[in-house]
Amino acid sequence: MSADDAEDASGSRSIPEWSESAASRIITASAKERIFISFAAFVASILVGSVLVYLSGLVVACEGTSLFFGSCYDPFQVYYYLFVDPFIGGFNVALVMKEAVLLLFTGLSVAVAFRAGLFNIGSQGQLVVGGLASALAVLFTAPLAPGGVAGTLVLVPLALVVGATFGGVFAAIPGALKAYADANEVITTIMLNFVAANLAFFLVGTYFQDPNSGSVETRSIPAYSQLEPILPFFEGAPFSVVALVLGLGLVGGLYYLLANTAFGYDLRTSGVQPAAADYGGVAAKRLVVSSMTLSGALAGIGGAVYVLMVMGRYRTGVPALGFDGITVSILAGNNPLGVVPSALLFGVMKAGSLSIDFSLGVPKQLVGVLRGLVILFVAMPEFFRMLARYTSFGPDERTVAADGGDGDA
Amino acid sequence: MRNPSTPVVAGAVGGVLVLLAAVFFTFVVPVDWMVALYDQLDTSLLSAALRLTVPIAFAAIGGIFAEKSGVINIGLEGLLIVSAFTSIAVAWALQEPMGAQTAAWIGFTVAVLASTLFAGLFAVVTIRYEADQIIAGLAVWLVALGVGPFASQIVWESVNSPAVPTLGNLVVPGLVEIPVLGPAVFDSNPTVYMMLGAVPLSWYVINRTAFGRWMRASGENPKALDTAGVNVGRVRYASVLLSGLFSGIGGAGLALGQVGQFIGSGQTMVSGRGWIGITAYLMGNYNPVGAFLSSFLFAGLNALQIRVQQIAELDIPPSLVQMLPFVAVIVVLAIVGKTRIPDAAGDHYESGDD
Repeated sequence: MSADDAEDASGSRSIPEWSESAASRIITASAKERIFISFAAFVASILVGSVLVYLSGLVVACEGTSLFFGSCYDPFQVYYYLFVDPFIGGFNVALVMKEAVLLLFTGLSVAVAFRAGLFNIGSQGQLVVGGLASALAVLFTAPLAPGGVAGTLVLVPLALVVGATFGGVFAAIPGALKAYADANEVITTIMLNFVAANLAFFLVGTYFQDPNSGSVETRSIPAYSQLEPILPFFEGAPFSVVALVLGLGLVGGLYYLLANTAFGYDLRTSGVQPAAADYGGVAAKRLVVSSMTLSGALAGIGGAVYVLMVMGRYRTGVPALGFDGITVSILAGNNPLGVVPSALLFGVMKAGSLSIDFSLGVPKQLVGVLRGLVILFVAMPEFFRMLARYTSFGPDERTVAADGGDGDA
Repeated sequence: MRNPSTPVVAGAVGGVLVLLAAVFFTFVVPVDWMVALYDQLDTSLLSAALRLTVPIAFAAIGGIFAEKSGVINIGLEGLLIVSAFTSIAVAWALQEPMGAQTAAWIGFTVAVLASTLFAGLFAVVTIRYEADQIIAGLAVWLVALGVGPFASQIVWESVNSPAVPTLGNLVVPGLVEIPVLGPAVFDSNPTVYMMLGAVPLSWYVINRTAFGRWMRASGENPKALDTAGVNVGRVRYASVLLSGLFSGIGGAGLALGQVGQFIGSGQTMVSGRGWIGITAYLMGNYNPVGAFLSSFLFAGLNALQIRVQQIAELDIPPSLVQMLPFVAVIVVLAIVGKTRIPDAAGDHYESGDD
């Protein structure tokens, strides 16, 4: 309660402060506790997911003779296909890696905003805008650029830069609206997701439609501008080691930026203690805009990679990578390094969702449910603290007490 | 307690929207289009706007109850999704044995219960287990966004349901004869009447009853309420459950009062109405009447947008006009800006006596 009281003392509260107080509470938990909470939240989600799968199996009709306690779906089998099957065979592993790499970008995007005390729910829209812009940039410059390897060296960096720029600018809008007009960024970013999807649909459908295609998509970009699998092991799947290296490079860069630079320090301080940051001379408004821009740029790069590595063009109906990024980031404790295992875990589940659908007939939308459950459980650390108190597992009492545990240890 | 600048803000917002519309119709849409557009402003547009207001206004009213008591419920969108799915699933399952209308009403009731239950879960998570309200609210939305299509796949083997008959219109004899207003309002879906009743009722509950007083105290100064001997937790539980009840009516109103189908693709059929509801009550400064009027504004824009798509000679790409309500929400949020939210909203309150 002491932490809450301190926040009350800062005077009149406003909508934008929602996020600041929310972010600070998660950030102030100790690293050990955060890992415990993420792990426990994940296990809890899996347990709740099993119950859901079991109950769903009671509803659906199936021919099979081997029912699992009267249910068509055996939760153990479902989780085998969700977590183990994706690792069998080079092609499956490549699918996992493809999803994981894409989630690295959106996960980092959400994480960097979160660390600044901002909820960027709009990574999805920024990814769409960045992806479309990069596809168009490649399509329009390809005739001027050299072919072959030289073309790759020109067009791929160009696509990434354009994607980052457009994603960043698109995210700067809610950033500026928050900084200068106090418009709550949760709602504006969600609205901008709708705007981005409609805008992309309009632009592609009206001006950039591939005349030979029935779906709303641009012409495909030249083969030499696409990120192809280099290692023979991953042959045939849309996964490129170059994208992985790029993603991991951004993880390292962002970690360094947050931990070792003045900008990173200001950003983190604003997230944890906005009043202190303001007192310390941080230009709060500009920082809101710049951290949102950085967040959007990361999502925009994700969009560019999606175009270069997966689709080879821009096609409307981009998968919900931005929403998955929220879970990836929250599960990672909003730490850039944590995003790596977190994105990998979700990559496995995304790839696994295809096999549960294909092999067992369990809807692949199960992953969407788990995505929400994980956030729900991470949001309630108190639940696990109470659980830990009863079972004597989990972090020791001192860590709990240090985090405003109200002295009831 | 009430912000004295509300009429000014509302006026400014209205003014800017009118101005934007004027600019839009002068420079973007030529004059002869305006004539075609003007022809659209009729009673059936008003009636469509009212129908489209239902989910937004109910979500907004629900949001007011929760936030006034100190629990920010940004999961309204999720509650609408849960309710919309449940109402269609139940109505679909029961229509054979019970007849379409009975089944629809049972579906409606069960959906409101489901939404209230889901809100109850959110209440336990935030009040009992002290979860961060914003993140838990996002989780409520994302869980519903996952469960809706998943359950739809289980029941119908598709993210979209088959069509289900909607609740039949209710005609008020006599009043329906009033010119313009009569056919627009008094020949409406039952959920529209519910909305028109819920707005003054919730205003009364919030401002003129003991429960309303406790609720506001619980959001502004929970310690004082605790000292006065009222259980803060219980008041907050009740308020969050009420937000689930209202959102439930909104979601079922959308599904059974209007669409007659569950659509689970993309952002589901709810597609942002819960978020627009939040904007509506911020714009209405936590007053149910103001929230209703703001909801009506957004819904009216949406109704007009749907109309405009159907005018063949205009030939405006639908995806472009569909953006209009979402852009309007952003503009409104930017203008309304800092609203005065309840002092203790977002904070966990722990009574000293346990």
